[in-house]
Amino acid sequence: MKPNYTELFAALSPEAALIVGALLVVVLDLTLGRKKIAEARWHAAVRIALLAVGLAGCFTFASGRPGAEFGGAFMLDALAQATRYSVLVLAALSLALLPGTARMRHPAEFVAVVLFATAGFSVMATAQNLLIAFLALELASLSLYVLAGFDKTRPESAEAALKYFLFGGVSAAFLLFGFSLLYGLTGSIELNVIARELGAQAASPLLVVALVMVLVAFGFKAAAVPFHLWAPDVYQGAPAPAAALIASASKVAGFTFFARLLWSGTGASSGQAPAWMLTLAILAGASLLLGNVAALAQRNLRRLLAYSAIAHAGIMLLGVMTGTRFGPGALLYYTFTYGLATVGTFGVIAIIERAGRCQDLDDLAGLYRRSPLLAGCLLMFVLSLAGIPPLAGFFGKFLLFSQALRLTGLTGPAGWLAIAAIALSAVALYYYLIVLKRAFVTPAVAGTEARIAVPLKPALALLLAAALLLALGVFPSSALRLVT
Amino acid sequence: MGHLLFNVIALFTLIAAVGVVVNKNAVNASLCLLLSLVGVAGLFVGLEAYLLAFLLLLVYAGAIVALFLFIVMLLDTKGDARPTLNRLPAAARVLAVGLVGAGFVSFLTRGRLPEPDLTKVPALGADLKLYAYQLFTTYLLPVQILGFLLLIAMIGVIVLSKKFEGLEDIK
Repeated sequence: MKPNYTELFAALSPEAALIVGALLVVVLDLTLGRKKIAEARWHAAVRIALLAVGLAGCFTFASGRPGAEFGGAFMLDALAQATRYSVLVLAALSLALLPGTARMRHPAEFVAVVLFATAGFSVMATAQNLLIAFLALELASLSLYVLAGFDKTRPESAEAALKYFLFGGVSAAFLLFGFSLLYGLTGSIELNVIARELGAQAASPLLVVALVMVLVAFGFKAAAVPFHLWAPDVYQGAPAPAAALIASASKVAGFTFFARLLWSGTGASSGQAPAWMLTLAILAGASLLLGNVAALAQRNLRRLLAYSAIAHAGIMLLGVMTGTRFGPGALLYYTFTYGLATVGTFGVIAIIERAGRCQDLDDLAGLYRRSPLLAGCLLMFVLSLAGIPPLAGFFGKFLLFSQALRLTGLTGPAGWLAIAAIALSAVALYYYLIVLKRAFVTPAVAGTEARIAVPLKPALALLLAAALLLALGVFPSSALRLVT
Repeated sequence: MGHLLFNVIALFTLIAAVGVVVNKNAVNASLCLLLSLVGVAGLFVGLEAYLLAFLLLLVYAGAIVALFLFIVMLLDTKGDARPTLNRLPAAARVLAVGLVGAGFVSFLTRGRLPEPDLTKVPALGADLKLYAYQLFTTYLLPVQILGFLLLIAMIGVIVLSKKFEGLEDIK
């Protein structure tokens, strides 16, 4: 096969735009930005980065010819394109939060690493080949480890980065083991060939071992129990914009990547329930239970968000199970709207942090008086996470649960999980409402009543996220049509 | 003969790898890693992938393990007493041994890789020209991605390891 590089470049022009943007940010900061004050450097870096992300969005629109690219190494289908858009939107929102929030050194490096991570997510969304998929995953993960440790004024940030890196490294090793076994079983690293070969073979214990290893890495990426231990520490320690990216865009790309791997690569090409279904159901059930129950005990707002993320990961795993029959639409809709709400919540945290502390739930006290805008946005995001109509979080849950009930009926594992998830949503509502109670009812502690100034860009980002949540919740079918 | 050689080298590699994990002295552990890598290179030679064996020795055994040793020496870590795994509950031990045992049994009874059709496997690891050609055509993109991966690692190391000077001037 003679590779066609023009086609390859056309297919990957969004990633090229992101990477060129990242290099430009660093180079311009090192040449023109040396004498400027930090605030101006942050604004300049973020402006270039937003331009690069916007350009990447346009290129994604232009590269829309669906089909396999570069000898089957990439797949530009509806799922890939929709994931790319989602990742770009979430990355742009995280970037727009930066100028108002960051009190870190090295603005250009932070922004450049965010862009590299976004490029990694974007390649993950399209990869159809184990080698490229693994490299894209590592490109994104390595960037996220660096971002988690960026705030050198707080030791928690270093702790978060170290824990994230150690867990991530081990999970990457597991993934490589799994991939090498898959290669050994099928003799190919391309997903469609692997699917064909596995469909022709009888089930072997080696395949089970390979799948278990892949699921370990998936569990880490999704922060599913029992691979969730990094999440609370990372959410607590990482700088807020980095935590926003880790919690949102990384989740969307990770779920698309692993779901594609499980569906097409090792899925049920013979029509029976795939071997990984039961394991995934156990992971999902454990995540739902532990995430929701542990969140009740949290006094730290960020740790609460982390445990709620673990619970949401359980629901998303349910989406991976239902996707085998009903397509990827519901899963992607859920992860994207969850990402929007999480970016928004971390954005609110980041802006409050600029004026003081925002770690404990008590730090939210009196938010309604201190900044009605932030309190209003927080209301939208938290209610969407809780799944209250007409916000998008409700429709995502509704769609996934109804699909799960239709998949196996009330008695199958998916049905059980859906019922458990509905019951635990009531538990989740309790801790989400506690957050809102602190923000809206509890009066501010003496000495912290000063109003919080909200800079323009972060304010616009928060309003955009809230508007998207409302719009997607009111018109879900138009968003779903993009995917299917 | 080939099988015997494979078994001997594989056993050697595994023993060295176990040595990396159980050695309390970091220098000894690094040297065990070196031995294990030499074993893997031996396996590559057995597969007639001489180029890969050579690269493995050159890059990993030569450069990377030497780097490990440098860093170990710089950090000057003694093989201190460290918490042992003795506090593991008995139930967890039984479970772990049981799972590993079940895995072994199922491997021995049912685990058979499909016999590879050697004519279909391209011998890319033997010839430098073929290998390089593949790197610059089929695997061009992975090589590029790897380049950016290293760039991120470099930026990360520079940013994270730079001396912290206080933030008064940028507040």
